Amino acid sequence: MAQTIEDFTSTIHLQDLWEDPYPIYRQLRHHRPVAWVPAANRYLVTRYRDVVHLERHPEIFSAAEQDSLMIRVMGRTMLRKDGAAHLRERKAAEPALRPRAVREYWTPIFRKIADELIDGFYERGEADLFTDFAGPMAARSLAVVLGLHDVAPQDLQTWSQAMMDGTGNYGDDPAVWQRSDAAAGAVDEAVDAAIASLRSAPDESVISAMLRADDPLTPEEIRSNIKLFIGGGLNEPRDVTAVASYALLTHPEQRTLVTADPARFKDVFEESARWIAPIGMYPRQTTAEVELGGTLLPAGARLGVMLGSANRDETAFADPDAFDINRRDRAHVAFGGGPHFCLGSWTARAQVGQVSLPTLFRRLRGLRLSDSEPVRLGGWVFRGVLNLPVRWEP
Amino acid sequence: MPKVVYVHPDGSQDRLDVPEGTSVMQAAVAQGIVGIVAECGGSAMCATCHVYVDPPDAESLPAVGADEDEMLDCTACPREPGSRLSCRIVLTADLDGLTVRLPEKQR
Ligand code: HEM
Ligand code: FES
Repeated sequence: MAQTIEDFTSTIHLQDLWEDPYPIYRQLRHHRPVAWVPAANRYLVTRYRDVVHLERHPEIFSAAEQDSLMIRVMGRTMLRKDGAAHLRERKAAEPALRPRAVREYWTPIFRKIADELIDGFYERGEADLFTDFAGPMAARSLAVVLGLHDVAPQDLQTWSQAMMDGTGNYGDDPAVWQRSDAAAGAVDEAVDAAIASLRSAPDESVISAMLRADDPLTPEEIRSNIKLFIGGGLNEPRDVTAVASYALLTHPEQRTLVTADPARFKDVFEESARWIAPIGMYPRQTTAEVELGGTLLPAGARLGVMLGSANRDETAFADPDAFDINRRDRAHVAFGGGPHFCLGSWTARAQVGQVSLPTLFRRLRGLRLSDSEPVRLGGWVFRGVLNLPVRWEP
Repeated sequence: MPKVVYVHPDGSQDRLDVPEGTSVMQAAVAQGIVGIVAECGGSAMCATCHVYVDPPDAESLPAVGADEDEMLDCTACPREPGSRLSCRIVLTADLDGLTVRLPEKQR
């Protein structure tokens, strides 16, 4: 049996994970929940209980990964620090992202952005909700929250993608480095301009909060961390918006429930983030030899923490592959956990669950999938729908 | 060592000895008490460590702080006068015997 499992883990190809990782995750959870997977060059941690355990022991499962490609692209952000150094940077940004700021400042702006985007294509009666709505909505919202008021949303999307491609450039492709370095340089310029104007006219934004903190961040620290925010705060709300819309369009009974009671879009948001976790994997590295899920890990072992698998663990969620907004087990791990628990969780909930989804389903009467092309899904480190062609009655 | 009683929605109870200086959340998580999720690990950012504290225990607790107050508006189960974040309740000798009720769900 052991031999068969070794064989299985060594035949896992990244392309198979990209297309549909869930059957592979199920095998791993059952037979080797902490498995060395050569193609990923990491131990993949696939069970819910092991993911939660390691999130609660950051002193052993460190975020400060050595030779991290994220550091290569972004510099040393809060997400690659532990302990007090991490907390200092996180606390500086936090005031802009707490629920009260989200409710008072950001939600009204999110509403305006959503309405403007829909106004732009409403009369057409058809759109690709992924490219025409979910992406620009996430980009414009993020620009406001960060305080990058002069940045074009399209640029933000390009920089985000280029930097994230860099963080995954294990193949050392020079063209990818060139694009990610160019994006990082453009972000530096935009942040410097924002710092200059926010120093004289402070607002509620993340950059302004970093400047005004009791222990203010240096321009260098702000530049790195804003790269993290752009890399990690755009595609995720975009992907939940598109996945949740897709799920409702393909589950008519659940759509009827939420359109009758829009407060339940909150449940749609949470269930969508569980069903297809936008961040399917994040990295950690062990600081000491440790046993996890029956596997002895050496010190310095590189782990892939598989949120996409933990959220489909049958021991934590009944009928885990089903999209079900009425499920009782709801403690998904899509936002991670412990000290690095997603700083944007409340912003994302408001943007997607309170604004984007209710607005789309209220305004676009008769919204349905278009038969022009099939909806495609892809990814495992990041996963979501890749297109969402729809029609409605203007 | 001060004792804390965790009362589950079905009425069953867990009793823990909690060292002073440890939060009601940390003790629950260390012992695997179901019903406290505590995603953010105690930074008053997730609202998944919600508990209810009834009088007279409620009066012996320090006042609700600003961060705690806004987070208590985001809990999965309704906020009540006795609602607290268990990551903000740190055990002292005075709190020996503290009883907290766990909500039906944290998310
Ligand atoms: C549904 C949407 C989102 C999901 C699923 C998500 C998921 C996550 C996850 C899993 C982590 C932890 C990563 C790790 O521990 O390695 C994280 C961290 C983070 N997220 Fe999000 N995120 C979302 C939206 C956002 C948004 C909108 C922002 C910014 C406005 C944001 C900013 C951050 C930051 C700054 C961190 C690092 C926190 C730290 O290191 O302390 N996220 N997110
Ligand atoms: S543990 Fe997150 S708010 Fe208490």
